[in-house]
Amino acid sequence: MTDLLEVNGVTKRFGGLTAVKNATFTLKKGEFTGILGPNGAGKTTLFNILTGFMQPTTGTIHFNGELVRELAPYKIVNRGMARTFQLTRPFVGMNLLENVLVACMSPRASNDKDKEERASYLLAQVGLGGRDKEPVETLPYGDLRRLEIARALATRPDLLLLDEPFAGLGSGEIEQLAQLIRRLHREQNLTILLIEHKLREFMALVSRVIAMNFGEIIAVGPPEEIVKNEKVIEAYIGKTEDAHASA
Amino acid sequence: MRRISLIDIAGAIVLVAILALAPMFVSSNYLTGVLTVCAVYGIWASSWDFMSGLTGRENFGHSLFIGAGAYTAGFLATIWSTNPWLSLPTAVGVAIAFSLLVGFPTLRLRGPYFALAMLSASAILQRLCLIFWEYTGGEEGLYGLDPLIKSPLHYYWFVLAVLVVTVIVLTLLAQSHWGLLLRAIRGDEATCQAAGINVTFYKIASLMISAGFAGLGGALYAHYQLQVSPPLFSVVVSITVIIMVYVGGIGSIYGAAVAAILLTLLTEMLRGFGEYRLWIYTLTLMLILFFLPNGLIAPLWRRLTERLR
Repeated sequence: MTDLLEVNGVTKRFGGLTAVKNATFTLKKGEFTGILGPNGAGKTTLFNILTGFMQPTTGTIHFNGELVRELAPYKIVNRGMARTFQLTRPFVGMNLLENVLVACMSPRASNDKDKEERASYLLAQVGLGGRDKEPVETLPYGDLRRLEIARALATRPDLLLLDEPFAGLGSGEIEQLAQLIRRLHREQNLTILLIEHKLREFMALVSRVIAMNFGEIIAVGPPEEIVKNEKVIEAYIGKTEDAHASA
Repeated sequence: MRRISLIDIAGAIVLVAILALAPMFVSSNYLTGVLTVCAVYGIWASSWDFMSGLTGRENFGHSLFIGAGAYTAGFLATIWSTNPWLSLPTAVGVAIAFSLLVGFPTLRLRGPYFALAMLSASAILQRLCLIFWEYTGGEEGLYGLDPLIKSPLHYYWFVLAVLVVTVIVLTLLAQSHWGLLLRAIRGDEATCQAAGINVTFYKIASLMISAGFAGLGGALYAHYQLQVSPPLFSVVVSITVIIMVYVGGIGSIYGAAVAAILLTLLTEMLRGFGEYRLWIYTLTLMLILFFLPNGLIAPLWRRLTERLR
């Protein structure tokens, strides 16, 4: 397997604060990886850097062998890296179909000749079939997340980045959405990088975990190992009593 | 955006017929002149609405393109004395060139920069007209343009036809996938980026289209007045156009054109009130905008025809 994404020494400083510190990792084609970390660990910042919405202070990012640092976000999307937002950002005033149609107009989707049909198909694929004409304003949060995924899929990505897809959802919704994501990964051999801070949903889904805390990658490995990793436990639960006593 | 239905087309045909035939019942050159100005404002307002109404990037210097088009016609007539018909395509080209000049550096930016840049660009051009008075005629402007068509009535019909074509072209564009992208830009630029859309390209391209039609309207106006002068570049022109679009119902295109015609007629009808004219006009506008923030024309038309769709 070849490396789809290669992140090397990426650092992002905001004034005196270092949000991401020397992040280095790779993603292989077809891999399902999760970035784990408590709130404020720098996960979303890292996502924004990968997708071009922010520029790193230092470091390089190669996607499909090409240096994508300093490319505009829409160019990165058209090279095959699509994302969803943690706070869903639909186009209000448009219906579901139109929301997905916009992404079907990207240069990367130029081979999809019948845009309406493609958008409608994608909506069905994420479980929003037959609701093309519904306005987005009335959509519950879980469905908005599905809409975000449909929009990302419309750009025919090689790598899909999901920013906390389960945040704010009820447990029933989480299970259904997790099934959808798992199916996309399996059936389309999509490489997925997912951010989450809820351990349970996460561990059942991914095959590899990158754990972050205070902007640094503290551990990389399969979920079974990560849950036993001392640094990860420390980041999540705090130091053990012994450690407190000796500190 | 709503698809066009038969009732819309029927309404448009009736309106255009009334406008076209009005001078035949009330035969006066004055009315024909007023209606010509109405149609010109219609072109200006609908072209503003196409870019700013759809993308939500308010252009506060539409007079830049209007003036550029008008002065192009003026220069061609007075300096090179070319065939007057040449001024129409040339005016479109010059206005588009100006849109690229202002659009490229400012449309990449977010926030109010574009509005301010357009406002100052039009003000700068107005000043330049005065500074280089040897060429532009200064305050007096340029005189002695040739009319495109001798008969005022025939010229009015021509301008009305241009307005109709403008509205049809812009409406078709607004209803196409292209228009969908422009409305998406109005919604959320970051989401557009995430959808792989080159936001800057679409903003500049829509400004070019908007400027082209505004320049065309400017040249038509110049050949009606047979002179051009610096107030064409003024903020008052830009603001008047914006108000017309808001009264028409932003983003509807046809609403902008109809509101432009009605408001221009209203201004003329109020001439009898002398000094009070501006009072009444401004008060009417304030009431409309205060009580009908979504505009008057397009929402009203939708309401009236709801059952017939």
